[in-house]
Amino acid sequence: MADPIKPDQILDLKGLLCPMPVVKLSMAVKKLQAGQTIEGIATDPGVMADIPAWARTSGNELLSIEQQGKEYHFIVKKTA
Amino acid sequence: MADNTAVSKALQVLERQLNRPLMAALQVCARCGVCAEACHYYVADGELEHVPAYRAEELRKVYRRKHDFFGKHLPNWVNAQDLDEATLEKMAEMAFSECTLCRRCTFNCPMGVDTPLMMRALRAMATASGKAPEILEMLADAAIEKGKDPAMFRDLFVAQVAEMEKELQALVGDPNARITVEREGARVLYVALAGAHTILPPAAIFWAAKEDWTLSIYEAANYGVFLGDTARAKTIASRIIDEAKALKVQEVIVAECGHACASLVWDAPIWFQEQFPFRVRSLVEVMAEYVQQGRLPLDPSANPEAITYHDSCNLARTSGIYREPRVILNAVTTNLREMTPNGLENYCCGGGGGLVALPEYDDKRMKAGKPKVDQIRKTGAEIVVAACENCRLQLGDLNAHYSMNVQITALADLVVKAMRLPKSVAVPLPNAAAVAVGE
Ligand code: SF4
Ligand code: SF4
Repeated sequence: MADPIKPDQILDLKGLLCPMPVVKLSMAVKKLQAGQTIEGIATDPGVMADIPAWARTSGNELLSIEQQGKEYHFIVKKTA
Repeated sequence: MADNTAVSKALQVLERQLNRPLMAALQVCARCGVCAEACHYYVADGELEHVPAYRAEELRKVYRRKHDFFGKHLPNWVNAQDLDEATLEKMAEMAFSECTLCRRCTFNCPMGVDTPLMMRALRAMATASGKAPEILEMLADAAIEKGKDPAMFRDLFVAQVAEMEKELQALVGDPNARITVEREGARVLYVALAGAHTILPPAAIFWAAKEDWTLSIYEAANYGVFLGDTARAKTIASRIIDEAKALKVQEVIVAECGHACASLVWDAPIWFQEQFPFRVRSLVEVMAEYVQQGRLPLDPSANPEAITYHDSCNLARTSGIYREPRVILNAVTTNLREMTPNGLENYCCGGGGGLVALPEYDDKRMKAGKPKVDQIRKTGAEIVVAACENCRLQLGDLNAHYSMNVQITALADLVVKAMRLPKSVAVPLPNAAAVAVGE
């Protein structure tokens, strides 16, 4: 299924193992403006649990997260 | 009026942490300098500030100002110093980026001075005063969040494990091979790390050993430990402890990860003031036991490459697990080449203490890892095995940074490769930490 949202930035997290996907995502989100979105693409299945938990604690909004074959795609919106 | 400045918060934590071992560490040092060569940071660049005793002195100055007679009244005489915010920030950076808590200095100190204990106290002071690295706090808080609401990810996790179960069946050639999740009454609860690479190889080994095991929904890593934050570390550990109690397992087996094992085996019983109704061991100890009991069908000729083993500080020095990896390696490889020194005396890889997760200190981490690179190169090994995820991440980064051209792998991967499986299905070499992380 194609993502309906067009993200402002794409972040390639493929091949990275926990905790690096969350570390890199949080660094990238820091550089965004409030309201901007970022799509992360990872191969570590751990992100399916870690990204939602990170979004809750960091207060950013997780717009979608899904498995596409061997990849995990998620879109995060930076909140103010 | 309550004083809520960062400095006063840090000092309050120091006072709270002052137990006998910490006071002994703060009061004793012969200034002999023996610890200098023990520390990989000093070995890497020979800078005075990287002598463990020099680091400790930074905290001792503050301690003396409060607790030493001369320090209180004639601070200049005894080099005692009030803590100010700039000094606190400097010390926080030192504790998080220039000490991996590897304990090699303590092992080599004629007086047994526990410098890493002081660095842990500093980390706790920094965390309480808002001076700790944000990323470590974020990782710890995300783990706590997962524990509050396991329903948020449990179904997804179970679905992922079902996929892995199919891979396991193909790998071992047995359509009945299972990976159950949180099965009550299993003998063993295995706690992996995030990602299939710490689930699939152990699952194959448990299958071969006919172990009665089930998988935890949590990951074994505990970032609260790196923060020196007992409250967070306890909350993270309690997810697993409560899970093990609810499932009534007899044993918790922790994935190949140094700090995760050390914190559950050594710290948790102190944090909780409790003897748990189950035993906790590292997967490394359990695999060695299987080997010694002859429960795994092994053919060491499957791993003919020149292989060296990197001892994780938390496994070897903190937990005394340095013979077991050799028991395993002697059974699954044919060309083991030890580093010098190794075992209890092994040098830290430079990635411990949570440092691999802190990109802001990548340069320092690469520099501090140079002694390890030299050690590895001298062995001529093609494969470097480590039983710790932090070490493997760091070794992967060192591999890329210094173009070492080696392969990094976990013990379980080599065991699986050496296993004679019923249907000889090709076993792909796992991707654990084969990937460079930092940029
Ligand atoms: S080896 Fe021990 S006593 Fe000697 S300087 Fe280092 S910490 Fe002090
Ligand atoms: S614990 Fe390790 S890194 Fe820290 S000062 Fe001692 S030898 Fe150096």
